[in-house]
Amino acid sequence: MRCLLIENDKDAARYISNGLREAGYAVRVCADGVDGLHHAVNENWDVAIVDRLLPGGVDGLSIVSKLRDLAKTTPVLILSALSSTDERVRGLRSGGDDYLTKPFAFSELLARVEALLRRANGMQETTQLQVADLILDTRKLRVTRGDKPIPLQPREQRLLAYLMRNCGHLVTRTMLLEAVWDCHFDTQTNVIDVQISRLRSKIDRGFSKPLIHTIRGVGYLMGERA
Amino acid sequence: MPRLDFTRSITTQLAIANAAMLGATILVMSAAFYFGALSALDRELDRKIVATSDRLISLYGARPVSEFAQEVVSDLRGDLDRHFEIFLVTDANGRPLAGNLSRSPNGAAPYGRLIKRQVVRAGRLTSARLFVRQLPSGALLYLGRDLSEEAPIRLLIWRALRVVVVVAIALAVFVALLFRRHIVARIGEIRQTAAHIEAGNLRSRITISGDDEFARLSHDINHMLDRIETLVDGVRHVSNAIAHDLRTPLARIRGRLDEALRREPTVEALRVAAGAAIEGIDELVLVFQQLLQIAEAEAGLRTKSFEPLNLSGIVQDMAELYDAVAEAQRVKLHVGSRNPVWTHGDPNLLKSAVASLIDNAIKYGGPGCRVVLFTYCAPEGAIVVIQDNGPGVPAPEISRLAERFYRVDRARSLPGNGLGLGIVSAIATLHGGQLSLANLRPGFQASIILPSLPAESAPRFAPRSVQPS
Repeated sequence: MRCLLIENDKDAARYISNGLREAGYAVRVCADGVDGLHHAVNENWDVAIVDRLLPGGVDGLSIVSKLRDLAKTTPVLILSALSSTDERVRGLRSGGDDYLTKPFAFSELLARVEALLRRANGMQETTQLQVADLILDTRKLRVTRGDKPIPLQPREQRLLAYLMRNCGHLVTRTMLLEAVWDCHFDTQTNVIDVQISRLRSKIDRGFSKPLIHTIRGVGYLMGERA
Repeated sequence: MPRLDFTRSITTQLAIANAAMLGATILVMSAAFYFGALSALDRELDRKIVATSDRLISLYGARPVSEFAQEVVSDLRGDLDRHFEIFLVTDANGRPLAGNLSRSPNGAAPYGRLIKRQVVRAGRLTSARLFVRQLPSGALLYLGRDLSEEAPIRLLIWRALRVVVVVAIALAVFVALLFRRHIVARIGEIRQTAAHIEAGNLRSRITISGDDEFARLSHDINHMLDRIETLVDGVRHVSNAIAHDLRTPLARIRGRLDEALRREPTVEALRVAAGAAIEGIDELVLVFQQLLQIAEAEAGLRTKSFEPLNLSGIVQDMAELYDAVAEAQRVKLHVGSRNPVWTHGDPNLLKSAVASLIDNAIKYGGPGCRVVLFTYCAPEGAIVVIQDNGPGVPAPEISRLAERFYRVDRARSLPGNGLGLGIVSAIATLHGGQLSLANLRPGFQASIILPSLPAESAPRFAPRSVQPS
């Protein structure tokens, strides 16, 4: 996976690129807007991570707009220290696919980059999601595990569907908050922990193999593992 | 500030313009009156001269000249003094036969028209208006009036008018000066307050008296000053808060890291210390974020992202976010009405406000309590109410709840930083609404009152509240 990172802060760039390289990405770092724009436009990338405020007269949003003007669909994650909703909306309107506010945990960044890649590679809409013996029929809105039907409230089903679609991948609490409740604000994230533990009690209790796993301090992962 | 140059003062300019206008108006009016009245009089007299000469000629014109002269003398005797001061009959050679002119005026022609000529009357040269007719016999009839007797009247009227104009202008100037003094005094109050504010006394306000334009201006300025004071207070609060509530946790994080390094550091100890530091920093970031959010909301910077939205939908969404927490606390979370209630706002800010109030109700209502949420449309706006039947808040503390970092004693043991209600209040204010807090018996009620959006301007379909996952 080739990743373009446009970030002028040396420490942040090193922190992100080291993490991505450990996760198996080939990372190219550009430290200013002009250089970043040049590489973004002239090469093909699987994903681009762009900081908003850049030296060199070209800011992050104009790089993204330029890319979109040229009909390049490279998934873009925008990084910014500007956190207000307005700024977020501006970032997404200019063509960004996701927006992450500094400071952030690297795990959050990685989870979002991977979600972008999955989305870019096309997630076929299926009417039935299945993880091990857990089945969610999105048309009939029915959940069963083994032969046992599991009654869930609509929002719990949405939460479960999101986890199942991202099966095998880490999802963070903020990702869940955004995707399931459409909330783009900071809140005490333990609200999500409690939601997950209730969901878990419904789908995992009484079964030998737990399907929802907690990644401590980061988020959750759905899948079969020991 | 130096004294205002007299010619630059708006009030002086106004006064001068006012006086000039008044003077000009009086002048124009007087001129119209003067010329109108006098010329009407002149026309009337002229008409009489012509009519009389017509009458005299038609009555006696056929007679011989000497007889004509006598007839004219006797005919005119009655009103000679009144209208026709001047008359003269001459024979065809211009020799006077009867009349009160010493000799016939030079150049009397053209005949049959009113003309102005110098005549000699009673040995005195005087200006006169004359009408000259020639009789068939060649004799001439002069009828006219002495203009010199009119002059003193004209002079009198002119004098009277001049006095009127001068007095009127003087009065106008006087009134204008009084007016100026008044305005300067009123402006003085405003300038004095401005000077106080400049000197750093932000509490200073303009004293409002009466209900004139200045009172309204002062009222508006006072409002503006209130707003500025709130903003400045906000900034001051935030800096105090940063000083206190950010420094303390920073010191704690620093201390832990320091300690971890000072002892024989094991990998495990460092890991624990780093983990604790990250947690501490995350908390700090949250506080920081919230403070910024308050400051932004109070500065009114977010109105760009406003859209029509359904409050009931927001309440429903947030209830579904907190239902698990409520369940875990054995709190019954009940959503009242589901009828759409429309307002105009930022969905994320309103969601976070409602979430914060639900969080409070669950946290402070205590385990086993009941939390009721409902929305409705009232004359005062679109209203969201969050009620719990917990212990409520000591009455004297209610008014302080929305202050930043203020926490009721009982709440200090519970997680939180005392910013929640401050943010909710700031968000409500930003939306042109307000947060209202009250004790119920038993329990506590928080309401956000927002300007309602009339149903006809609400979107036909609810805006998309779900993002594709």
